[in-house]
Amino acid sequence: MDYMIEAKDLTKKFDNLTAVDGLNIKIKKGEVFGFLGPNGAGKTTSIKMMVGLLHPTSGNVLINGVDVDKIEKGTIGICPQELMLWENLTCKESLNLMADMYEVPKKIRDERVQKLLDDLFLVEKADTVVTKLSGGMKRRLNLALSVIHEPEIVVLDEPSEGLDPQSRRVLWNYIRSMRDEQGKTVILTTHLMDEADHLSDRIGIVDHGKLIRLDTPENLKNEIGEGDIVDMKLSEASKNLDIIQELESNEQILSVVEANGRIHIRALNAVGKLPLMMQAVEKFDVHIADLSVRQNTLEDVFIDLTGTGLRE
Amino acid sequence: MKFTSIAIKDFKELIRDRRGLFFILLFPIFFMMIFGFAFGGMGQDNTPHNIAIVNYDQGATQPTGGQFNFGNNLTNGLKDVNYPNSNVKLFNVTETTEDQAETLLKQRTVDAELIIPNNYSASMVSLIVNSTGLQTTAVNKTISTPIIRGDEGYSNFFASQSALNGYLTQYQEGVVNGFKNQIAGTPGAQPVQYINTTIEGISGTQSFTQFDFLAPGMIVFAILLLATTIAAILTREVESGTLERLKMSKMRSFDLLFGGLIPWSLVAGAQVIILLLVALVLGLHWQGGINSVILATVIGIIGGVASISLAMIIASFAKNDRQAANLGTLIVVPTSFLVGAFFQLPQEFITVFGHTFQIYEILPWTHTLSALRAVLIYGEGLNAVAYQIELSIVLTVILFVIGVFLFSRTRLSAEN
Repeated sequence: MDYMIEAKDLTKKFDNLTAVDGLNIKIKKGEVFGFLGPNGAGKTTSIKMMVGLLHPTSGNVLINGVDVDKIEKGTIGICPQELMLWENLTCKESLNLMADMYEVPKKIRDERVQKLLDDLFLVEKADTVVTKLSGGMKRRLNLALSVIHEPEIVVLDEPSEGLDPQSRRVLWNYIRSMRDEQGKTVILTTHLMDEADHLSDRIGIVDHGKLIRLDTPENLKNEIGEGDIVDMKLSEASKNLDIIQELESNEQILSVVEANGRIHIRALNAVGKLPLMMQAVEKFDVHIADLSVRQNTLEDVFIDLTGTGLRE
Repeated sequence: MKFTSIAIKDFKELIRDRRGLFFILLFPIFFMMIFGFAFGGMGQDNTPHNIAIVNYDQGATQPTGGQFNFGNNLTNGLKDVNYPNSNVKLFNVTETTEDQAETLLKQRTVDAELIIPNNYSASMVSLIVNSTGLQTTAVNKTISTPIIRGDEGYSNFFASQSALNGYLTQYQEGVVNGFKNQIAGTPGAQPVQYINTTIEGISGTQSFTQFDFLAPGMIVFAILLLATTIAAILTREVESGTLERLKMSKMRSFDLLFGGLIPWSLVAGAQVIILLLVALVLGLHWQGGINSVILATVIGIIGGVASISLAMIIASFAKNDRQAANLGTLIVVPTSFLVGAFFQLPQEFITVFGHTFQIYEILPWTHTLSALRAVLIYGEGLNAVAYQIELSIVLTVILFVIGVFLFSRTRLSAEN
């Protein structure tokens, strides 16, 4: 198997905090790899070490078999979580500058700049200074600046953060085209389940600096079994535990977890099991404040694995 | 040539950042104007001394007969006297009461107060009688004490009291000589002077004001202020993450720092020209032609590079642009005083490896200032300031190397 990135026993400690704890990960060439985890889980720290911007406390990273400190500059393009833009330059000037910094020949540079402006719907704003761009446009420019030199590996750190649905769609399409048309290896960190689910070939779930599961989105969803999810909110949250215990004892219920004050009940033919659930609720003399039935999602995988909802 | 792209980027950012430009260009102009108005005389070579006169003199009978008030006569003389070879009055006289004069002194509306006592005329008559032997009536020997009063912590007081004292002596001699001539019946001849002291200024400085000394200092102050602005801009590049973006690219430290040097040193050169123009409008007595402007610009650019180096050192330690601006001000303002931008500090010598030199000479801007003064005020050429320029270059190079080392180490390598 051709691995583009190999992280071996990667650990990063800041004073008393272990941000990343013995991370072992192998990312294949030409795949979109999703790094999923709540804020503060250690995703950005891991990424920074994997691209050579941060020295690990221990462990090492190989890019195409070469130590990350020794790879040729420009192998990796990183699109940071924060906007890293020159406020007083225009979109075109910013792109030209970064192309020059990566020694892209002028003729190729002009073509690439034009294509990126086209692909990311920034053509009309090519000569507008960054301060006058909308939030979504700034995010798209942030991405364009990271790929102007056509790197082999593209790292996108929370790329959809704060994006409107239209900009998110543009971004997702571009990420897919990087993999499908340009054969890039893309690492995506996100705390958005649907983003990881829709874009990733494989997903690594991290929490508290540790990799807790790594597989394809489908396998992860299958791992916790089939069935639908009944998402229930009671009038009195203090009774949640009693009802969870009651439901867990029922063989027709596959699993029950509490997340953010709500009860998630997984069961085959969940709609048919609703009377059974109502009985359990009524037994404790509480009412259902809110109830919905939906398909099993990646978020349920996370909740099942960690016993909690994603922290914002 | 990646440094040219960085230079163009920095230049565009600079001219589009109106607030930054305002600080760099207009702030020093504002300072220059304040100093120009305070010390320049606005094109007038000499300015009158503001004095208050309190005249208590009651007059007396002259030796030749008739009542005369020497106090009034002295006051009129003070009002009429001009600077030598000039039509500018030596004194701007306000006749007032003692209480009012004291208020004016405290407000520094007047520089000095002259109190003419009530027996001044009587004492003048005594002086005349004693000096000439002229005695038509019985005269008591009277001694009077005119008082010159002022704020001893105010430099203008010393200049005014000296001028007043000189005039009082001259007046007394003049009155006595007048009476002697009256007795002899001739217009009188001036005694032969075997010792004739004259005061000469250094060539070209005859009409200098304090502002001429200060204007090059203001230019150096502006160049030093650049360090504050550049440090804030460099720190902003760190804070906004754009430096991290550049670090990921093939850019080297040299490209970033040398690229930045070009537009910023041009700003230093532009500052010299703009501030020189403002100083000329405010009455600077500029010596030398267009060559002196070119030479001054080059000297300013070298000083600018020293400021950029200082900015790199500040940006190596500041956590954000506000901290950089504060730290910059904290360093730049005392440095301006140390290099003598506003006034000369007491001489402090140190000896290193057997060479004794002034402690302030380790700062490159001290030499920038000396060279600028020599070129702009005394009209000196390249040969005269070559030594100062060489020293300034050597010290700037040392500072630049320190700046590049610290900035590269703290900002351009991977985080730990």
